Amino acid sequence: MEKILVLGAGTGGLVAANLLASHGYKVTLIERSDTHLFQPGMLWIAFQGHSPSRYTRPVKDLVRPGVELVKGSVAGIDLGDRLVYLADGRIFTYTTLIIALGAQLDYEAVPGHRELVERYGDFYSGAQAAARMWSHLRELVRGRLVIAAADPLYKCPPAPHKAAFLAAHTLRRMGRLDSVEVHLALPFLHEYPSEVVARIVAPKLEEAGVNVSTLFTVESIDVDKGRIYSLEGEEIDFSLAAVIPVHRGPSVKVEPGEVLDEDGFVKVDRYKLNVEGYDDAYAIGDASNAPTSKTGVTAHLGAEVVVDRIMGLDSRFNGRTNCPIVANGEASFVISSYDYPPVPVKFSRFKRMLEDLFIASYWSSLKYPERWAPIFRAYFNATDPRVISGGW
Amino acid sequence: MSERITVDARGMACPGPITKLVRAYRKASPGALIEVLATDPGFKPDIEAWAKRTGNEIVELSEEDGVIKAVIRVTGKK
Ligand SMILES: Cc1cc2nc3c(=O)[nH]c(=O)nc-3n(C[C@H](O)[C@H](O)[C@H](O)COP(=O)(O)OP(=O)(O)OC[C@H]3O[C@@H](n4cnc5c(N)ncnc54)[C@H](O)[C@@H]3O)c2cc1C
Repeated sequence: MEKILVLGAGTGGLVAANLLASHGYKVTLIERSDTHLFQPGMLWIAFQGHSPSRYTRPVKDLVRPGVELVKGSVAGIDLGDRLVYLADGRIFTYTTLIIALGAQLDYEAVPGHRELVERYGDFYSGAQAAARMWSHLRELVRGRLVIAAADPLYKCPPAPHKAAFLAAHTLRRMGRLDSVEVHLALPFLHEYPSEVVARIVAPKLEEAGVNVSTLFTVESIDVDKGRIYSLEGEEIDFSLAAVIPVHRGPSVKVEPGEVLDEDGFVKVDRYKLNVEGYDDAYAIGDASNAPTSKTGVTAHLGAEVVVDRIMGLDSRFNGRTNCPIVANGEASFVISSYDYPPVPVKFSRFKRMLEDLFIASYWSSLKYPERWAPIFRAYFNATDPRVISGGW
Repeated sequence: MSERITVDARGMACPGPITKLVRAYRKASPGALIEVLATDPGFKPDIEAWAKRTGNEIVELSEEDGVIKAVIRVTGKK
């Protein structure tokens, strides 16, 4: 009998499990946490003071009948014997496996990082950490808020930009933008990894009153002195700082080890998303090494491709991204695919409305992905980088 | 002999190769050599700009059969 096992009830895992259930499959979904966090919500909690409860839901409320939810922590996967081991000793077998365990954050790579997060919070380490950041931001009367990253590879490439825009907006509304500097320190050559996007976002950052340093990759943090040192040999002083942690693949032992790359991400066929060398196991979303941005959109689209493939359809993932850059009252999207580098997408209020619609649809799109599929498909086709290659 | 690290970023598009290089650079000791293999055509100007701004030396930058090879000596670290 067919036994489909999905690991992780994040964006990718929930879409995959619920979509399979909508087609009548029986699915087992293993998740260690009781709650699902809408991760972009951390930006709004940390920099605009939104309540964490707006962005969290019990996982059990997000799964459909037909999905058996198992609470447990995955410790190991044996691809040869088709076994999944949980930390408490339980063992699961499968005929098809979907790995959707996301990325893990490494606070040890940068000295002082753990202490920084414990003291000030950030916008990556969970809803509580984001609420901690907000409690410090609201007290910040003068000085410098630094938003930085410990590595150029992290989920949602425009997240630090969004953080800076939202923080600057809040400080302006508090009447403090003259006494508090918002400083965005990026590990890239330009204001964004893609120069096309950098040219669009740089003037907006300037307009918002955000100062930017490029080629600043955090090497270490002295929390007591309030100073961040970069790998490139520079330093910045801060009154308050949030540093995006180094990302690694899921903390799970996988046999054979060769299917993981040197950072622990699962090596996949970038189009079919099956684990390299296995046609009965897939990896989607942040856990995979597919050479595209790590975002909820790619996890969602990857889940759709994998479900199609399980049904016998020859769907392929094209690496499509749609990362929103939210600025004051406006938004742009970073739109690219494996074959197309990011196209120029101007900021507009209409795109901000689209992004707000995507956010509002989030919970429903996790639980009922098939209802949203035609709407998303229309959007993705209309904004295919080939279609809007001249700009949008 | 100095430490030599190889970074294979073939098949990765921007900003992939530089990302991989930065990960290796974090761990490298002063004087070490880092060899990066990439296929993304944007890698050549990017690595040149990166080396210039971070004070690291490009020992070799060549292209063969669509594969760009860059060898960097870590001179920008104290
Ligand atoms: C600040 C911020 C802003 C963002 N903004 C956007 C945005 O605007 N648009 C966008 O598309 N994306 C955005 N993202 C990225 C997006 O949230 C992630 O890329 C997406 O959640 C990835 O989905 P996933 O299913 O791969 O992993 P996740 O959603 O991270 O899910 C992984 C799941 O696996 C579980 N898990 C992990 N290990 C184990 C284990 N050992 N055992 C059992 N369960 C385990 C976790 O608890 C989690 O539920 C943002 C992220 C952040 C942090």
